[in-house]
Amino acid sequence: MRMTIPVAKVLSALLADAEAPRYGLDLMKLTGLPSGTLYPVLHRLQAAGWLAADWEEVDPATAGRPARRYYLLTAEGVHAARQALAELRALAPDGGTSWGGAEPTGVPAW
Amino acid sequence: MTRRLAGFLLRSAVRRWPAELHDELSREWQAELHVLAERGQRWRMLRFAASLAVSRASEPVVDRPRFDARARRTAATLLLAPPACLVIILASGLLMNIAVNQAFAPAQWLIDAQPSILAVLTAGLAILLARLAYASAVRGARTGPVRTALGIVLPVGLTAVGAEYALNSSTDDLIRVAPALLVWLPGLTLVLHLVGMLAGRGRTRAAWWTGVLCALVLADLAVALMVINQIPGGPETIVDGVAQADTVDRISAPLWLFTSLTDSSFGLPRPTPSEIFLISDLVELQPFFYLACTPYALAYVIGAARPADPVAAPSPVSSRA
Repeated sequence: MRMTIPVAKVLSALLADAEAPRYGLDLMKLTGLPSGTLYPVLHRLQAAGWLAADWEEVDPATAGRPARRYYLLTAEGVHAARQALAELRALAPDGGTSWGGAEPTGVPAW
Repeated sequence: MTRRLAGFLLRSAVRRWPAELHDELSREWQAELHVLAERGQRWRMLRFAASLAVSRASEPVVDRPRFDARARRTAATLLLAPPACLVIILASGLLMNIAVNQAFAPAQWLIDAQPSILAVLTAGLAILLARLAYASAVRGARTGPVRTALGIVLPVGLTAVGAEYALNSSTDDLIRVAPALLVWLPGLTLVLHLVGMLAGRGRTRAAWWTGVLCALVLADLAVALMVINQIPGGPETIVDGVAQADTVDRISAPLWLFTSLTDSSFGLPRPTPSEIFLISDLVELQPFFYLACTPYALAYVIGAARPADPVAAPSPVSSRA
């Protein structure tokens, strides 16, 4: 997995609550990334096996809207993301990297 | 209307992804769009769809603010450099005049050397501009040799045409320089493309030599074409037994670029003083513009073709993509 700042933002947002499934708009809000950047990142994370995607179990007629697609880090993804972000943080100069509000501060939350 | 436009953009975005993902992506994005539509967030709907429609699907992703900054730097450099070349020529002329006028009763050699002084000053300032352009290119957006070459040449062409029109306030003079520009601009595009490819393969020295030599030949060809197109080459017209000195012998054509930059025949019998006058009077700004633009164009394309630095950290974890 090639680590870029958008990838790091997405991983950071997902790791903030690794048990909580997230949908696209939710992740856009958490990371500040536009849809055109977010979805290719999600696709790459899925392809790498770090991320699983599942359709929401909802009846569109009852809910009044189509089912959404939710994303959740896999066990491998949680481990790999923690390691990748830790190494990224170790390389970054103090205060030199902006995570667009999705950054872990101090002790990691995961 | 907004929903339809967003739907159109989404369909356009979906088509750019691999075929096996079309159904799932379409379903997923339509679901998100539906939520935004229900909330009445029309602009967010459009932004959501438009961002997907213009982004690169399944390509390595760059950090958008950083990319935008690079794109802005690239655009600013490529748009400002050609006018800066005109400023360089003006500044060189000003400096030359100051230097010559400062000399009390300037010697004849100094007066004769004015075009050469102008050329040297222009070349010196053009090299300074080239260093700035190189630094900007290294930190600018990477667009590939073709786009970089076109991005350099199009503003140069517009500036050249604009400057000729502003100097002469007439389209007749644009016709005068048209043959030169029609050779120089496409030729420069090809040269820059070649130089970019060489630099992209790490052959920087070869790129510089190729670029300088090709650009020199190209500028020489452009000046020669302009002269051949405008000044007859046959015997001089005789009026009342007096030769009118209205022709230029083609034998000295390869020298005309250097002659127009220096007003010199370099000790050779051709071009004669009257031919030098005709050539310099015809080409005016063009050779100096080539001289001012070429260093920065080569420097930029070589700087932009350098292999990109990695964005951030190494990939410490194996993937099973």
